[in-house]
Amino acid sequence: MAAEAKLSHTAAMILQAISAGYVYGFSIMEMTGLPSGTVYPAMRRLERDELIRSQWERQAIADAEQRPPRKYYKLTNGGKATLEASRKRYPLLERLISTEEARSV
Amino acid sequence: MKHRSDLAFSTSQRALLYTASLLVPAAARDEWRREWLAELWHVRRSCISIDDTFSLEAQREITSFCLGAFPDAFCLRNQPVQTGTPPAHVHGSAGQTLLWLAAVASICSVIASLLPGVQAEKEAARAQVRSNVLLIGDADSNSSTASIPTGLFRQWKTSHQRFFEDLAFYRVSRERATVGAVSMPWKVAHSTTNLFALLGLSINLADLDYADPNIPALILSRKVWIRDFRGDARVIGSTLNVEGTAVRIAGIAPSGSWQLPGAPDAWLLESDRKIASEAISKRSGYLFAALSRRGLDEWTGPAVSIAARDSQDFVMDLYGAPIAMPVAGPWSVYEFALFLAFLALPAVTSVSLGESQISSHRPTAKQRVWRILFLFAKLALIAAIGFYASLDIAYFSTPEYSPFAECLQLLACFAICLIGFRWAVADQRQRCPMCLRRVTNPATVGLASRTFLGWNGTEMICIGGHALLHVPSLPTSWFSGQRWLYLDSSWEFLFADPFVR
Repeated sequence: MAAEAKLSHTAAMILQAISAGYVYGFSIMEMTGLPSGTVYPAMRRLERDELIRSQWERQAIADAEQRPPRKYYKLTNGGKATLEASRKRYPLLERLISTEEARSV
Repeated sequence: MKHRSDLAFSTSQRALLYTASLLVPAAARDEWRREWLAELWHVRRSCISIDDTFSLEAQREITSFCLGAFPDAFCLRNQPVQTGTPPAHVHGSAGQTLLWLAAVASICSVIASLLPGVQAEKEAARAQVRSNVLLIGDADSNSSTASIPTGLFRQWKTSHQRFFEDLAFYRVSRERATVGAVSMPWKVAHSTTNLFALLGLSINLADLDYADPNIPALILSRKVWIRDFRGDARVIGSTLNVEGTAVRIAGIAPSGSWQLPGAPDAWLLESDRKIASEAISKRSGYLFAALSRRGLDEWTGPAVSIAARDSQDFVMDLYGAPIAMPVAGPWSVYEFALFLAFLALPAVTSVSLGESQISSHRPTAKQRVWRILFLFAKLALIAAIGFYASLDIAYFSTPEYSPFAECLQLLACFAICLIGFRWAVADQRQRCPMCLRRVTNPATVGLASRTFLGWNGTEMICIGGHALLHVPSLPTSWFSGQRWLYLDSSWEFLFADPFVR
């Protein structure tokens, strides 16, 4: 797949972060240590390539917690396949951002 | 209570996000802004401590987060470009067309503002030679030939004149002007100091009040000022040598000086006594006379015959004619060209916009108004392009006003406006009346039927699925022009582009 071959380490980290449960921009920034000027444009490109898709949180949930609703990202099937390929390419990726870590946050 | 600095930072951070959002395409702007404002809320909550104490480090971190919005906005803005072709809703849209026309008009206006000739034409229209000034010449020679001996000027100047209140004179000779190490051949007009005042052309005479009254003043023509001094205003006050004599540049000739005969490169202002000196008294020049009140009363025709006696008491047949030639100015030329273009338009194209009267699904009144406004906007922008582009063409290589450039401006403006208006009307006919997008997608391409009974034309469909444009290949008495067939809402599901309304 062409998209898999072109995926940069940054994009792979963001995919891994989303896969690990960091599902909105600021949490991905905090997890990866990347600045906002890198994370958000990368997510736009991933969404354009249909590796991730976004969804707005329901207004009722945000209202209950007295905060603005936020946009969540999740992997598509293509994104999952690409991430698997990226893990082979970048073996340390899974150790950098583990799923257990996300659950404990 | 919130710290005042915190409020200022918060406002500036939101302002940053709003500014960045302007870079995002309009269709995606609201959602983009909503996402970033939501994220900002969470970033602020994460960075600012619970007791709301002000921290510069925290504010720096939040501002840094907001600055990241700009790369994100640029990324969204460039996404359609990266795909290679503009999205369908942009291609051929009314907005795109108007933007292109506005860009061309802007470029032409910027070029026109940089051309010295354009400014000179405006000034020439404002500053004109007084109408009571006559150019006196020999009746047997034409007005561009120097035919008045210097001696005659001296004689007239020193004697009482009933019909003239003042006289001015200059003679033109080829001389070498030296600036530093550069020597230039100029046509220098040795002129009386009252020349420009008599003609009514304003020149900054304060420049003549320099320290050394023994150094004569030199007035440069606009052509030489731009050609040899690159239009540098700082040359005023500097000295140069003309045939070994030091002179000081006292100013630049006013735009109306184009009417003066002999086409001098510079006017050397000298005293009447020096002009009429014996050594050069037999050389001829140009004589200008301002009519007195009595002279104006006596003057009946466009030219006047004058009988005079020269220094040897020979009778000379002279004539006097006003040199003032009205300069229309760029706006008058433009208005005339525009009027001609509108007049000639029906001769080069049909002014019909291809409206169909037989469809039940016609555009709404609002859509019809937008269509007309779009046509007028195109015509207005083309008219603006015609104005500026014709000035650019006329004065591209001419630094000062000339009747030839004015004529060129008229022709260029007429041609640009006529061709432009023709294009605007033809373009309007090919645009969907509902969405104003160019209809370029063929639905059926037909050839003329042998029996004339079958459909013999081409059908184009609007990209938004609003209408079909029928264009007959062979105009007949029952189907001579194009027709629009408006499609009903049942077609909408076939056209997926959400931006096409």
